[in-house]
Amino acid sequence: MRVERETDGTLIERSARGRPDAFVEVVRRHEVAVHGFLARRAGRQVAADLLGEVWVRAFAGRDGYDPAYADARPWLFGIARNVLRAHWRARPEAGPASDRAEDPWDEVIDRLDSAGRAHALTAAIGALPPAERDVLLLVAWEQLTPAQAAVALGVPPGTARSRLHRARAALRLVLAEEKA
Amino acid sequence: MTPPDPLTALGSVEPPMPDVLDAAREALWSAITHEMLTKDPSAGQTTRTTDPAAGQTARHPSPEPRVRRQRSGPPDPGT
Repeated sequence: MRVERETDGTLIERSARGRPDAFVEVVRRHEVAVHGFLARRAGRQVAADLLGEVWVRAFAGRDGYDPAYADARPWLFGIARNVLRAHWRARPEAGPASDRAEDPWDEVIDRLDSAGRAHALTAAIGALPPAERDVLLLVAWEQLTPAQAAVALGVPPGTARSRLHRARAALRLVLAEEKA
Repeated sequence: MTPPDPLTALGSVEPPMPDVLDAAREALWSAITHEMLTKDPSAGQTTRTTDPAAGQTARHPSPEPRVRRQRSGPPDPGT
């Protein structure tokens, strides 16, 4: 007999209604993916440092989760993104508050370059507006649909789709020029 | 097997070590334990207030019945 797996939405709702430990199963389902999200953007050490903070924030905010959304992964990526931005803003080397980048893409490029990854591609991604880059990487790296990326970023689905379209077009153009 | 496209390949990372995941779950268990210990069972319901010192949400007992937020949009990851 096949047993239906409870959705993340059901587990989160139960955790908010007297069984907080039900939230642990949600974390088990998505911990590798959320760690990957953090590690791709900030390196494995920072990912290890921030992962617990993501779970604590998600747990604290679970009361606002709509259980109709069966898959919590986009929501968790959104929280991970907020934790990462707070981390970047708080770094002492980031300089005065007004100059602090929320998305230090140069560091990501340096890390990818040092790992021997394609420089032209990383540079092309780095040249994208951050809002477009966010959607592109949520789809390409985290395997979200554009609608799920919209949930993670807190924007309407149409906005996510148009940003993705522009990002892909810009990337194609840069890579075609590189090839020519 | 089809190789991943260059963009996907660019984002590949090694999976985390088990102890990294264990440590992160430990932080969650601390929050769960704290909530279970501080929740007043006689109240039955709770409301949320913000603890500015912690920068996170804390639960406090309340005699008022809790009304779950009616949502018409997707889950909000906050800011």
